[in-house]
Amino acid sequence: MKIRQNALSLAFLGLFAAALVGQAIAGTADYNDRQLVDGGSTVSVVQYVATSEFAVDVAENWQSEYLQFFLFVLVTVWLIQRGSTESKPPGEEGAGSDEEQKVGRHAKADSPAWAAETGFRHWLFSNSLGLTMGFVFVASWLAQSVAGMAAHNGERLSELRDPISWGQYVLSPDFWSRTLQNWQSEFLAVASMVVLSIYLRQRGSPESKPVGEPHSSTGVSG
Amino acid sequence: MKGLLIVIAALLLAGCATDTSAPTRVAEDFYRALSEGRPDAACLLLAPRTAAKLPDDGQSCGQALGELALSGGSLQEAVAWGEEAQVRLSEDTLFLHRYAEGWKVKAAGCEQRPELPYDCEVED
Repeated sequence: MKIRQNALSLAFLGLFAAALVGQAIAGTADYNDRQLVDGGSTVSVVQYVATSEFAVDVAENWQSEYLQFFLFVLVTVWLIQRGSTESKPPGEEGAGSDEEQKVGRHAKADSPAWAAETGFRHWLFSNSLGLTMGFVFVASWLAQSVAGMAAHNGERLSELRDPISWGQYVLSPDFWSRTLQNWQSEFLAVASMVVLSIYLRQRGSPESKPVGEPHSSTGVSG
Repeated sequence: MKGLLIVIAALLLAGCATDTSAPTRVAEDFYRALSEGRPDAACLLLAPRTAAKLPDDGQSCGQALGELALSGGSLQEAVAWGEEAQVRLSEDTLFLHRYAEGWKVKAAGCEQRPELPYDCEVED
């Protein structure tokens, strides 16, 4: 029963693990292929996952995914899209009243403990989803910059060029090419979901309106 | 969340520079062999493709290396990233690659060129 009640999280964690293992195996084969061309020696999967090449490939995708959710969580507080399942109805822009948000003296008996708090704890818990997404985004982006610098410097040395500093790397075309190629796909995916959910349906999915719901209905799911 | 932070820390660690003591030792051994008149021993420290490319027809690697009259000098700086390293000596810059059997000299007798790869007398 517990598995069934957590099936969605477990399914995606399983897919994540399988995809990461697949990335490690395919990445090792690709890395070894390039090593042979360059006259280098091949590595095992375990050795490959400790390389900066693997780290930067993982981190650059993570940062963009968490940026996507960070922005989506924050921007949907203030911006609406009429007819979208991903938006609140028009007129409800903003953080909402304490009564609507069930905080402070409006907190219920079964509300999370910090919902009834005031001051810093109230602010922290009220923004904890966005803050966490934002924190993981920044940490992953930092990891991408450090691992990316290491991978890029390895490549520069193999081309008989001087390595560069972290400061030079975060201003380099390599860093921004890796970053922006991920960002553009995330922003397109969000825009697609916001707009397509107005007109298209997926029967039974909470990401869609009920099939017979009018296109003009906003913030309805089922 | 804790697990996620550990993974991010591991990704950051993957960006750490490699230990430079081993490639530095190989670079110094390379020039010690040359200065002691043992170019064949220096050739054994060259990367396979570099050693194969160096001699002209009818020449051995040691003879070709001896003719170049390379000079190294004292150690200035060493950096290593992943499988690649650069060792700067007062009179030369060397590039090394880490193979299964250890670090080998990929390029030596290198001169810096602005915005371009180094121009090396010995390279693969």
